[in-house]
Amino acid sequence: MKKDLDMRVNVLPVLTYNFLHVNDSRITGSDITIDSLECPEVGTVPAGVSLDRAVSFDKAGDIFRANKDRILVTTGVPGAPNADMSYRDKDQAIRTGMGIDVDQLMISTGATVDVYTVAEGTKVAEPIVLRYEMKDGQGSLSGQVVHAGRNSEVTVIMTYISDKEASGFHGVSTRLLAEEGAKINVVKVQLLGDGFMHLDDIGGACFAKGQIDVVSLELGAKKSWAGCYINLVEGEAVFNSNMGYLCRQDHNLDINYVSDHRGKKTNADMQFKGVLMDTAQKTFRGTIDFKNGSAGSAGDEQEDTLLLSPGVVNKTMPVILCQEEDVDGRHGATIGQLGEELLFYMQARGIDEEEAKKIMIKARLESVARMIPNPEIMQKVQYYIQNIV
Amino acid sequence: MSDNKQVVADINRSIYDFKDVENEKDFYRLEEGLTEETVLKVSEEKNDPDWMREFRLKCLKLYNEIKFPDWGPDIDGLDMDKISSYVRHKSDMKGKWEDVPEDIKNTFEKLGIPQAERESLAGVGAQYDSELVYHNVKDEVAAQGVIYTDLESALRGEYADMIKDHFMKLVPPTDHKFAALHGAVWSGGSFVYVPKGVKVDIPLQSYFRLNAAGAGQFEHTLIIVDEGADLHFIEGCSAPKYNVANLHAGCVELYVGKGARLRYSTIENWSKNMYNLNTKRALVEENGIMEWVSGSFGSHTSYLYPMTILKGDHSKTEFTGITFAGQGQNLDTGAKIVHQGKYTSSSISTKSISKDGGIGTYRSSVVIQNTAKKAKASVSCDSLMLDSISRADTIPGMDIRTDDADVGHEAKIGRISDEAVFYLMSRGISEEDAKTMIVSGFANPVSKELPLEYAVEMNNLIKLEMSGHSNA
Repeated sequence: MKKDLDMRVNVLPVLTYNFLHVNDSRITGSDITIDSLECPEVGTVPAGVSLDRAVSFDKAGDIFRANKDRILVTTGVPGAPNADMSYRDKDQAIRTGMGIDVDQLMISTGATVDVYTVAEGTKVAEPIVLRYEMKDGQGSLSGQVVHAGRNSEVTVIMTYISDKEASGFHGVSTRLLAEEGAKINVVKVQLLGDGFMHLDDIGGACFAKGQIDVVSLELGAKKSWAGCYINLVEGEAVFNSNMGYLCRQDHNLDINYVSDHRGKKTNADMQFKGVLMDTAQKTFRGTIDFKNGSAGSAGDEQEDTLLLSPGVVNKTMPVILCQEEDVDGRHGATIGQLGEELLFYMQARGIDEEEAKKIMIKARLESVARMIPNPEIMQKVQYYIQNIV
Repeated sequence: MSDNKQVVADINRSIYDFKDVENEKDFYRLEEGLTEETVLKVSEEKNDPDWMREFRLKCLKLYNEIKFPDWGPDIDGLDMDKISSYVRHKSDMKGKWEDVPEDIKNTFEKLGIPQAERESLAGVGAQYDSELVYHNVKDEVAAQGVIYTDLESALRGEYADMIKDHFMKLVPPTDHKFAALHGAVWSGGSFVYVPKGVKVDIPLQSYFRLNAAGAGQFEHTLIIVDEGADLHFIEGCSAPKYNVANLHAGCVELYVGKGARLRYSTIENWSKNMYNLNTKRALVEENGIMEWVSGSFGSHTSYLYPMTILKGDHSKTEFTGITFAGQGQNLDTGAKIVHQGKYTSSSISTKSISKDGGIGTYRSSVVIQNTAKKAKASVSCDSLMLDSISRADTIPGMDIRTDDADVGHEAKIGRISDEAVFYLMSRGISEEDAKTMIVSGFANPVSKELPLEYAVEMNNLIKLEMSGHSNA
């Protein structure tokens, strides 16, 4: 299939100055090859997990539509933030970071979704691993729904890998539902070639004491978009996110992460660590949204970006929206070169500036890579980082 | 504490809310609406030079072409067909208080402006509706060569070329819809020129009062602080409350020369029917310093983001601001900074308080251009929520286009800590007073940057806003 793309994605939850060009991102392209519309085979499905292969995107969203009133619970206090954009994605079964245009792409291409349902109380010891191994010129678009029943726990690892010089298209839609006390760990590792276009969209909801953890590494692809929107719907729901990224050459990475707090005592912790070099560009949008009723909640987002070449462009939009008195929200960003004190410390120990930079790149990315709960994949990532650096 | 409580209760908005009945025969008021005819009438009233008349018409065309912003507070309640762009008293501007018409003089007496002039200011400008009614600068300051006059006089006098070279060059009318509106119907405002090396030890102040209902105020402030000079300029604004919308779309252009320093302080207390769509911008040359101190308490809706362009190497800016959004208010405030020169540095520190359903939004941008090697920027914004029917949003943006820069950003949103209130209450302080005390402490980094009289005014405003507030 050949597809023309003209999508508006990663829309900031509230708009700001147009001159910053951060309110959204456009994906355009003509005659994009999309020849695979299914997830790769996973081999043996662990006990307690059922898998429905190649379900239509629409059908796979039924579980979210059935719970929509519960997910979008409101306490009834009116008052949207200025230039609120939530109306735009209201027809999504579950709101995602990249937004409704990804849903429409999935539907219009007939891309299918694998639906994993984890039975109540099941703790799946071994991660489910999906390996997307892309060839030069290939295009793939597919999705997953992970529905974790009460007090269950599951880990899903996805790797997107190709040769370094390969080109192509790769898109993934991942939708998550963690019921009461359930925990879903999602790990995504992107090592695509320097000519790839990559879309990675996540949407999820946690019921009471539910938890979603997302670990992602964006290390390849010429153009990459990553979005994640997690609804912390009921009391004590948790969202943890750790992203590491490396943008080099003329690569472009566009990120939109949102934690939407509706339940009481919910907690979000979002950490982003990355490196920009050569003429790479990166836009990061991170939003903590304390809705009315989320009393006792806390949210923290931190971005630490190392800039290593004069031609890089870094845009950062750390947003906090708040309509609840009893919350603790904070965000921080540190953007710049290696500190002079750190350099001096390194040089005093016989490590020159170039070597110091390499050490710091590796330190940033490997701190995220170490969170991958699969030794073989972790080693592969560490080897990839070693080679790139 | 009962005595203190009485003090809080005694402060009331009437010091700003009193309305002087404008006797129709004493005032000239342009009909509501914005057309070529109304723009030409303003131009005629101002006795504009030809270039200014043409400029106004060009701005009107731009106003009609440019769209409303899609990113800020809702301004649907603002209907330009119901706003008069120009209202003035029929008497001319005076250089002595005693010559100012009685009704207007009463207004400024109540606001304490003549007293402030006597006690702590180097010069005062007082604008009532669309025109300056009084302008004076102390002899010793004038003797240093400092020019402080109304913009219209400057436009026709010996500084005409300087005005033409600078007027709306920093804030071009193409910038946004309300900059174009300002260009079309601007009226009043001040021109300040501080010559090379002159340090003005005590501040100059302009006070803007919009007394007419359903009117707009579009004053233009142009300040040029030449090489090595130093100035503190204070701006105050207020208006009585009406049931119809009023509009303030002023424009402030500040030029800070090499090694010069300018501090621009504002206590904004427009009435809560005011749409405050004001534009402020400063251009800072090598080694220059621009300091902003900004308190936003009034207005129904505000778009206010003073912008600083650090053009020269080693230039610096500091922005210290507080916004207090109460019932019915949507205050969208912050700052914009552009680093162009090498070794430039900027610091933004803001505090925002939201209560009784008010919406306080901190919005900012820090842009570090590729030329700004060794630039440093730090942003810190804290928001305090006093209840759960209000909003406090922070929307900061950073655009960094060089690796050779150091940018730090931090923001916090939270509430008044129960422990702090309990501590104060256990020492005999009422809950209301304890919360007022904590909010005043929260605002302290801003008030300490203000001259004493203005810090007192700001603290009074906080007490006034906090009176009756209790979550008990």
